[in-house]
Amino acid sequence: MSKQRQRIADAVIFVVLLLGGLTMLVPFLWMITTSFKEPGSLFDLPIQLWPEKLHWENYRRVLTAVPFARWYFNSLVLALGLTFLNLTSGALAGYAFARFSWKGKDAMFLLSLITLMIPAHVLIIPLFVIMSRLGWIDTYYALILPGLFDAFAIFLMRQNFISLPRELEEAALIDGATPWQIYWRIALPLAAPALATLGTFTFLGGWNAFLWPLIATNSIEMRPLTVGLAVFNTQFTTEWTVLMAGLSLATIPPIIVFLAAQKYFIRGLTLGSLKG
Amino acid sequence: MSSYRRFPWLFILPSLVGFFAFNAGPILISLVLSFTKWDVFDPLNLGAVTGSWVGLENYREMARDPVLHKAFWNTLYYVLVAVPLEIFISLLVALGLNRDFPGVKIVRTLYLLPTVTSVVAVGLLWRWVLNPYVGPVNLFLRWSGQQIEAFFGFFGLSAPGVVHWLASEGPGWLSDERWAMPGIILAAVWAGIGFRMLIFLAGLQNIDKTYYEAAALDGAGPWQQFWNVTLPLLSPTVFLNTLLALIGGFQVFGLIYVMTGGGPLDATNVLLFYLYQKAFGIFPPDMGYASAIAWLLFAFLFALTVAQWQLRKRWVWEEA
Repeated sequence: MSKQRQRIADAVIFVVLLLGGLTMLVPFLWMITTSFKEPGSLFDLPIQLWPEKLHWENYRRVLTAVPFARWYFNSLVLALGLTFLNLTSGALAGYAFARFSWKGKDAMFLLSLITLMIPAHVLIIPLFVIMSRLGWIDTYYALILPGLFDAFAIFLMRQNFISLPRELEEAALIDGATPWQIYWRIALPLAAPALATLGTFTFLGGWNAFLWPLIATNSIEMRPLTVGLAVFNTQFTTEWTVLMAGLSLATIPPIIVFLAAQKYFIRGLTLGSLKG
Repeated sequence: MSSYRRFPWLFILPSLVGFFAFNAGPILISLVLSFTKWDVFDPLNLGAVTGSWVGLENYREMARDPVLHKAFWNTLYYVLVAVPLEIFISLLVALGLNRDFPGVKIVRTLYLLPTVTSVVAVGLLWRWVLNPYVGPVNLFLRWSGQQIEAFFGFFGLSAPGVVHWLASEGPGWLSDERWAMPGIILAAVWAGIGFRMLIFLAGLQNIDKTYYEAAALDGAGPWQQFWNVTLPLLSPTVFLNTLLALIGGFQVFGLIYVMTGGGPLDATNVLLFYLYQKAFGIFPPDMGYASAIAWLLFAFLFALTVAQWQLRKRWVWEEA
């Protein structure tokens, strides 16, 4: 009896969860089907799940009406550049904090952790001022360089290097290798999973970033995809089908990266929030 | 090797440069600017800064500025509705998904889709979903209203006004002053559940299974197990998740920018959006005042974190 009740309860929970999951999925499906519908056609009942004829002209229009390909390229440069910078400087400093010791090391580490407390919005205005003094507004420098220091990246890499066994590195030291060689040839390759975690996380963050890119760029050609779509969506106020074509194109890369690296992404999120 | 005993210049240098140039330096500049009426076109030197020094004037102005007050209450409205909804729903979802059934991984992935989608895409998508005339939400509400009306009509009765309103019009999401913020919150909760759920799932999976076995041995049913085992052991995660959601909620920006632009009539203008308007949306920009808003917001966040930390002792169960 109670076993049967348990099974009914399980079934109810499952159905509710599935309905919730579909609520997450349906807007995306709508986005994709609408992007193939006849331009100007409105949503109507009964729901037309899939258009009878695929209207590729929505995609053609979004690619020609705005510099969509250029925005795409900018977003790629931003996301990849940020990832490269973040991994490089984060792994270097993380290794230093894990394996070196110097006077004031603990204070420095604490200071970098404190910056995690400072919300990004406090930095926006002075960063804009600095970047405009340097003449870097509307360049890739302004978009990417603020990622040079990232306390989260340093913290994550430090934890990872500490957890690696020291024996290999010690043996190499006895063989006369320099710290630099040991870092490049031994420690860094062993840190590949942590780098993948951090990289997935940073790539998605860079691809989806909005507030800073909105401020750091001002010409049409330098906008990343998110900002371009947000600023120029008024061009498509009545052209839902075209806007949805643009959104579909914009949403694909992060979802592919996420599906491919889901394991790393989830580890990064939980590490950052539970242990950070 | 215990460790290398010297300062690793080459390893630290990139982060050090980034720290001073893009973190510590800007924080200092921001603090100084908040005491000035400095103009972006002025040189950034001691003379220009002292020349435009106004002391606490920016902070005093905040006390008088009605738009700022409206933005403050709007922010509070957003946080107090969106955060509890997000936490509550994501906790339920996490509890449901913290078990093994075929396809559980796929369902988890579904909930995470909005998390990896940019806030701009979410906002634009939801502007269309909530469109009062052609959006799916109102079409559905209108259709439901008509069904209820027909049901009443079947018995020769006339439906209540609310039903008639639903059937013919429905909420004017985003364009109506009263419905704009609920519309934003709907999109925010939809987009935020996945991330919160993931943190809850990690917390749930950290709970030692032997506690449940012991509780079951003592005759505790599922409900008692939830109240006496799961909830206390999960409370540190609930604490952290709530704190993160509150901090994020106070800094809502992207959805507002994309979905309403702070309107209609400042009904969705929040602190960070107002800061953006003051610094980048008006001419000439008022960098000093905007910086002061940034520090006000920071003060809220800081006070909130400290208060939560104090309250933590009251309700967070910690392993001895």
